[in-house]
Amino acid sequence: MKAFGKAIALASALAVTPVVYADVHDHLFANSFDVPSDAPADTNAAARFLTQATFGPTASDIAYLMAVGYDEWIEEQLGKKATLSEPTVEAVVTARTAGAQNVGQTQRLNRWFWQATYAPDQLRQRMAYALSQIFVVSDQASTISGDVVPMAYYQDMLASDGFGIYRHLLGDVTYNPTMGKYLNAFRNVKANCTGTGAPGNPVVCTTSPDENYAREVMQLFSVGLIQLDMQGKTVLSAGQPIPTYDQTIISSTAKVFTGFTYSDAPIGTGANFTGANFYAGGATFAAQYAPMNCWGTEIYPYSNGNMKHDITGDDYTLGTAKTVLSWYVGGQYVTNTIDSGQSCSVPLPGHMADVEEELDIIAGHSNIAPFITRQLIQRFVTSNPSPEYIGRVTAVFTSSKGDLGDVLKAILMDTEARNPPALTDPTGPAYGKLREPILRLTAMWRAFNAQAQPVDQYGEIAMNGGSNSLSNYGQGPYESPTVFNFYTPDYAQPGVFADNNLVSPEFQIVNESTIYSVANSYYQMTAGAYVGMGGAVPTNRPLINLSSLTTSGITEAQIVAKVNAAMLYGSMSAFMQTTLTNMLHYGMSGASAQEKAWSAIYVTMISPEYATQR
Amino acid sequence: MSHTRNSRREFLNKLCCLAASGGAAAMIPQLRMMGTALASSNTANALTGYKALVCVYLNGGNDSWNLLVPNDTTRFNVYSAARSGTYNAQSNGGGLGLSLPSGSTQINAQVVTDLNDLNLSTQKYFLHPNLTSVNTAFPTGTPSLKDLFTQGHLAFAVNVGTLVKPIDMTAYKANSLNHPPQLFSHADQTAQWHQANTSASTATGWGGLVSEKLSSAYGANLTSNPTLPLAISIAGANRFEVGSSTVPYQMSTNGLNALSGVCNPSCTSTTTSSARDSALNDLLGQTYASDFAGEFSKVFNSGRDLYGKIGPDVPPLSNSYVPGNTWPTGGLASSLASQLKTVATMINLSKTRGYASRQIFFVQLGGFDMHSGFQNAGNGHNALLGQVAAALNAFWTAMGPTYVNAQNEVTAFTVSDFARTLQSNGAGSDHGWGSMQMVLGGAVHGGKLYSQGDVISGFPNQAYGAATNPNPNSFSRGQVIPGLGVEQYAATLAQWLGLSVSDCLTIFPNLHNFSNKNLGFV
Repeated sequence: MKAFGKAIALASALAVTPVVYADVHDHLFANSFDVPSDAPADTNAAARFLTQATFGPTASDIAYLMAVGYDEWIEEQLGKKATLSEPTVEAVVTARTAGAQNVGQTQRLNRWFWQATYAPDQLRQRMAYALSQIFVVSDQASTISGDVVPMAYYQDMLASDGFGIYRHLLGDVTYNPTMGKYLNAFRNVKANCTGTGAPGNPVVCTTSPDENYAREVMQLFSVGLIQLDMQGKTVLSAGQPIPTYDQTIISSTAKVFTGFTYSDAPIGTGANFTGANFYAGGATFAAQYAPMNCWGTEIYPYSNGNMKHDITGDDYTLGTAKTVLSWYVGGQYVTNTIDSGQSCSVPLPGHMADVEEELDIIAGHSNIAPFITRQLIQRFVTSNPSPEYIGRVTAVFTSSKGDLGDVLKAILMDTEARNPPALTDPTGPAYGKLREPILRLTAMWRAFNAQAQPVDQYGEIAMNGGSNSLSNYGQGPYESPTVFNFYTPDYAQPGVFADNNLVSPEFQIVNESTIYSVANSYYQMTAGAYVGMGGAVPTNRPLINLSSLTTSGITEAQIVAKVNAAMLYGSMSAFMQTTLTNMLHYGMSGASAQEKAWSAIYVTMISPEYATQR
Repeated sequence: MSHTRNSRREFLNKLCCLAASGGAAAMIPQLRMMGTALASSNTANALTGYKALVCVYLNGGNDSWNLLVPNDTTRFNVYSAARSGTYNAQSNGGGLGLSLPSGSTQINAQVVTDLNDLNLSTQKYFLHPNLTSVNTAFPTGTPSLKDLFTQGHLAFAVNVGTLVKPIDMTAYKANSLNHPPQLFSHADQTAQWHQANTSASTATGWGGLVSEKLSSAYGANLTSNPTLPLAISIAGANRFEVGSSTVPYQMSTNGLNALSGVCNPSCTSTTTSSARDSALNDLLGQTYASDFAGEFSKVFNSGRDLYGKIGPDVPPLSNSYVPGNTWPTGGLASSLASQLKTVATMINLSKTRGYASRQIFFVQLGGFDMHSGFQNAGNGHNALLGQVAAALNAFWTAMGPTYVNAQNEVTAFTVSDFARTLQSNGAGSDHGWGSMQMVLGGAVHGGKLYSQGDVISGFPNQAYGAATNPNPNSFSRGQVIPGLGVEQYAATLAQWLGLSVSDCLTIFPNLHNFSNKNLGFV
């Protein structure tokens, strides 16, 4: 994690303390600085940056960014500690359990939406969200659907590691029991074989290690399937892509990720390890999320039945090494092997430990920088970054030895992020990205100072976490249907994207059905939840504050201008401005000020222009 | 579009949407001419009647070697050893094998005869017990899948998988271009099953390409009242139904809910709803320079269009076309059953109103990637197969004469990423290759296993391909090389729907490598 660096005293004074009624505009900024040299050109430019870097711009964040400039803002955010989920979720779960209330992922989701909307470490929280779409775990898997508190910890882990070194993150993810349970490294055990391989005594195995984590850690979390250059382009050999690994490498690598169990599973005592139980443990929440222990030769002799780690090589004997992921250097594969007979995660004298050696090999692969960089650019800035953009960021990735904070700063400050091509430019139409349904919601909440519900008797703040985000939006935090996320980095919407070899990942969850269900949810969040509304005021979601749009004497054009600045960083087309103004002026002349206000917000929320981030 | 990129498809795309639009009825004669103009000269035969394909995607790689198991002792013992033994909670918790049916009740319920095999020593197989059970909520006499097999309505395609051309292990090792890229990877293998093409990555799928060919060459959607597109998904985005210029309509199992705060499609009285509706329609009628805004607007318009056409005739507004049969309950209820119920409703509506004469539906059930939890009671592999069977039973009943009356006009078929390692990893199985798939329908030539390949043929040898247990066409953990190609499997279904063999050779680029262009199961 980065040091506080250039964070100034003012910043810590601005830190939000948890409050009962959190308000978005809690940064009271004293405008006493000179204009910094890298200040945004105007408030719209500031709002545009904050749309990329946060869960949505607020008026106070815009003013603060204008005052301190991009560099200071980013450095300060890089220095902020992670707002944590686990302590709150654990307290809520414990209190609800004591009160005989249902406990489920709703508790984790309420906290997630609260943090997205109100946490001061916005950049870090956005990074955690981006990483959660690469290092996927999901409550849709029955193996972890009940692990509410450990999943909250997983979010904290991504947030805490999000600005650290990639290799460190890869290690934390690998040893995490929630990931272990999701992709089966947890309690994965060595092959069950007989025979020595000597003549007349063949090796015969009735089971082999689970291959799931070995495959996905390479396919999705690190190098991908085919060799890339430093601009993210596919390297070809005789016109064909070059695979990064094959099935034999998967089977050998699977042996590396064996022997893991809960950290508190008793390893036994005495010479006979009496009481050892690989399948026990997880007695406390802390034990359910602490890094997994590996039952390798660092704990047990090779011959002991508790030794669950597979220390054999390619032929299932100690006579061969494990052939694992190759590197590709100078047009040739460079074979990597891991010695047989090694310990699992703690090195023994004279040897490396299998898992650490394997992760070093993976993190040393040249694909890491372009593979991870491209996906981060897609989450923050644009679906189709130019090769040059990717190349500039991978250079930072490499020179910083995989410092993800430096990488994110390079992504956000790149000229391609800060200076979008005009729509009339050849690259203009496909520049940017579709805004995710969740980000469109949080941005609206932050734009209109959504007032959170009071903390309930169990310590929870309702954010409509139980509204079935996944089925309504096609996405939910840590709720992907599969390890391939809600959308893949290469999804191309049929039509103009596919025809021009462009991708549009977020379109994978846009269809006739979800467009309606997303809109209907937004209706509940606007027309159905605002401060001062009549009738039954909801208690399960924040109430937006319409006061900026309902001041006495405000004109329809002024309402639209405020919505444009708050939600679209001033990019609303003239046609849309006219359309909304006419809607308010002619069609809704008899409506209340509040209905005019939420109507302007709601129609904007479901508009094609708000769905687009440029 | 203000820019000059690929605009021909844009034009075709608009044409397609018009063709599918009931509101564009006045344009139909011209479109019929357009369809004729696009048709190749040898495809003049018009399609008659109604037919639908239902793609049942078992997401994650179904461990299909437990669907149907050899019943003879010799092959059963090979199977059982390969599966790391018969599962026993106490003595062999890591075993994945089924036990041989014993006793007349079990044997009656599970054992079937492959009518394609006249050899008395190898023609018997037994079905997974959960495939043969019938939800107790269903009426007495509801046929099990075993009954449907015996009655000739269910067939198995055996050892089918992604193949560029017929190969054996020697050819596999000789040249990487002899086999499809990225074997064993979920995303890639799923894509290859959904595409019509196993040798390259494409944005299109065979369901989409087939539906476009049926429209352009055969006028399949030019029924008395053309309203719906041919391809409809009840399970979200999928490559299978994407054509070169068309995308499927996507529906949820909730039917079609109205859009809040606006008119759907006609306003009742509140003028403010009308004002919002008018503004929204203006925004959706705009041309956007941004591709993202433009494509978003296109999907939104498609949703408005769909609601306007059929919203009043489907849930929650109307249950008129929902078949009234019993759908699975308790642990056998599933998302798949809900999706098939929606498919049955749409078939009923489409047939009754003449909205389309050919349709292709996509449904799916997830959870098949069972690296672990294979034997879990509630959501393990056995439980999932029970859900699949119950959903297919109910769908078959819904298509029966009492309800939709389209059993002979609807063919459902399974698709999955791959089969899995025969060998256990102690808690489940890992990614494999060749697999078994089910085809169900009144038009199916069932009661048979289809496994006639060019190089590898017949029910596969299930022994591992290790040095000590030589099986030349399997890998070390029992991942078998397919004998039948995905493109053969798909082309067979496409021909039933109305395409000619020559159409299929155009749509499926590797089909020419196989001697058998139609596997004959339907």
